[in-house]
Amino acid sequence: MKQFGKILSFELKSYLKNKAFVGVTIFLVVIIAVVMFLPRIISMIETDDGTADPGDLPTLLVKAEDPSQAEMVRELFGAAFTDYYVQVTDEGIDSIKDKITSGSAEGAFVMTGPTSYTYYVNNLSMYDVNEAVANEVLQKIYQMNAMIGGGMTPEQAGEVMNIQITSQVEMLGKNQMQNFFYTYIMIFALYMVILLYGQMVAMNVATEKSSRAMEVLITSAKPISMMFGKVLASCIAGLTQLIAIFGSALVLFNLNKVYWGGNEIIDSIFNIPPELFGYMLVFFLLGFLIYAFLYGAIASTVSKLEDINTSVQPVTYLFIFGFMVVMFSMSSGEVDNVLMQICSYIPFTSPMAMFTRIAMSTVPWYEIAISVGILLGSTVGIGFLAAKIYRLGVLMYGNAPKLGAIVKAVWKA
Amino acid sequence: MILELKNIEKSFGEKKVLTGVSFKAEGGKAFGLLGRNGAGKTTSIRILMDVFPANSGEVLIDGKPINYSKIGIGYLPEERGLYPKKVIVDQLCYFAELKGMRHKDAIASVDYWLERLGMAEYRNKRLDTLSKGNQQKIQLVTALAHDPDIVILDEPFSGLDPVNAMLLKNVVKEQIAKGKIVLFSSHQMSYIEEFCDSIAILNKGVVALQGDLRDIKRDYPRDRLVVRTVALERIRSDFGAACTVMENGDLLIQLSSPGEKKAVMTRLVENYDIDEVKVYEPSLNDIFVEYAGDSAREGEK
Repeated sequence: MKQFGKILSFELKSYLKNKAFVGVTIFLVVIIAVVMFLPRIISMIETDDGTADPGDLPTLLVKAEDPSQAEMVRELFGAAFTDYYVQVTDEGIDSIKDKITSGSAEGAFVMTGPTSYTYYVNNLSMYDVNEAVANEVLQKIYQMNAMIGGGMTPEQAGEVMNIQITSQVEMLGKNQMQNFFYTYIMIFALYMVILLYGQMVAMNVATEKSSRAMEVLITSAKPISMMFGKVLASCIAGLTQLIAIFGSALVLFNLNKVYWGGNEIIDSIFNIPPELFGYMLVFFLLGFLIYAFLYGAIASTVSKLEDINTSVQPVTYLFIFGFMVVMFSMSSGEVDNVLMQICSYIPFTSPMAMFTRIAMSTVPWYEIAISVGILLGSTVGIGFLAAKIYRLGVLMYGNAPKLGAIVKAVWKA
Repeated sequence: MILELKNIEKSFGEKKVLTGVSFKAEGGKAFGLLGRNGAGKTTSIRILMDVFPANSGEVLIDGKPINYSKIGIGYLPEERGLYPKKVIVDQLCYFAELKGMRHKDAIASVDYWLERLGMAEYRNKRLDTLSKGNQQKIQLVTALAHDPDIVILDEPFSGLDPVNAMLLKNVVKEQIAKGKIVLFSSHQMSYIEEFCDSIAILNKGVVALQGDLRDIKRDYPRDRLVVRTVALERIRSDFGAACTVMENGDLLIQLSSPGEKKAVMTRLVENYDIDEVKVYEPSLNDIFVEYAGDSAREGEK
């Protein structure tokens, strides 16, 4: 136990003294600070300039043979395209095209009838919705004209067109739309931290082995203390980094809350239910440990540093598979699909799969208990197994042994 | 204090590495564990240090099973290496603390040894800034800083210049004088001969020979004479096939029995111009080749 403490503090100190570790953490905190202060900075700049000048808006040109149609279209487009300055033109098609290619106008609607037009644009962006907006407006104009023609007053027609439906949603489970973002962020953080720190543990073990420091270490400390000390140190380091980053994000967000103007997505990210944090911590810890043990054990069988990446690949793939299942299920909106249910009980995928289901759906408590139980048992089991592999692995030099040989050796030991 | 390995058997998979290995090492004396590469020396040392268990057999201290929490062991492995990127004093203290020292004592002891080995100026430097020989001296500190009862040195002199070798010799003598068990493993026979009172030669996982080095030498049949003389040719022609010339130019005369010794010596001194005549005693090198070589003698002597 005393040895374990020594190893833990030695390993932890080497993380905290590592310039890259400290540098990356500070860098990320700074980035987050900049993002969090961005709306405040923007609002300061904007109030200095006064209100935005309409002359700064990009121009949309409207051309129609009939001047009354041109004026009506301009008026309604002006209301619909708030991000543009809509202007009527009677120039020829060629000069309109020139204006667009030269950049003095963003686009042009040339009306060829009451319900037909040509939309001229330079580069059609992936997110260009101008055509859809124009269609909607023109449809509305046509419908209103038809109603007025049928004997309605323009007011009556306007009322019919703008009828408002009132509705209410009563959620019995969870709001997936709102939960999506913070679940996404948390899963992504879990993914990054496990992958990064898992590889760090692997590198750490392999470096000790290749520098032969292992020869002295293995005769000075029990493999079980070494394995658990190393892995827990990296876990604490990872957690420290996460807390530093998310903690500073939370504090900085609250400082700038007013400037974020009640954006629903941002608000939801910073209003994660506390019990979800509890689950996050449990799944993070267990998921981290189980993978770190695997990485450490595998690295102990590698003699050369350059072989590390190929040797840990199977574990990495297993982990990425779990991540992919979760990501696809999340974006399809069906987080309770069969694959996800299976993955919720497999210890290597359950940290991400079960956590996602808890966050985005309603999972009965006993399912959570079974999943956590399996995960906890496997983590402890794999921890001891990893220590065993480690003891055998670190003294094996030469080519990395095959999986079968390791299993055989561990079985006999 | 007496350290004893008793009937140690060890296999890795199908391969039997140690077969009934037994030897004794006493406190206040140095013990030489010899053998060719792959003979089982490192495996014996690892079992002795509890890195892995033996399939059967015992490690005893004064007749009782060794208690690793009470008996300190210091080890200088043949494969040298520590943390290249870490500060020397930090890692030396870490190793000393892993062996059970308190932090304060560890620092004091590490500083003492750095001073003793003339490495104090490198205390706060990274290990990889040092030369190979100096790194080896740093590694020696990991074997000694926690004041162990048993010191195991595997090829301690390889890579050291004569001055550092002398420094290490003095340190080793000091450890022996303190009553510790010093266990040497080396292929440099001259150092073993200089330090070790008793030896064990391992050959293919079996102890081929063990005991007090002087006794071993004395036990050799005293049926050969070494003769230094100027009358080389005359003696050779007179003694015929029984007489051979050694590498250093001396003559080696094989007697038909040890009892013949006195008569032959008298005959030599009376009839030829003799500078020196003595009974031949084998060097450790000769003994090693005899017991660990390809045509090694079987069984235990």
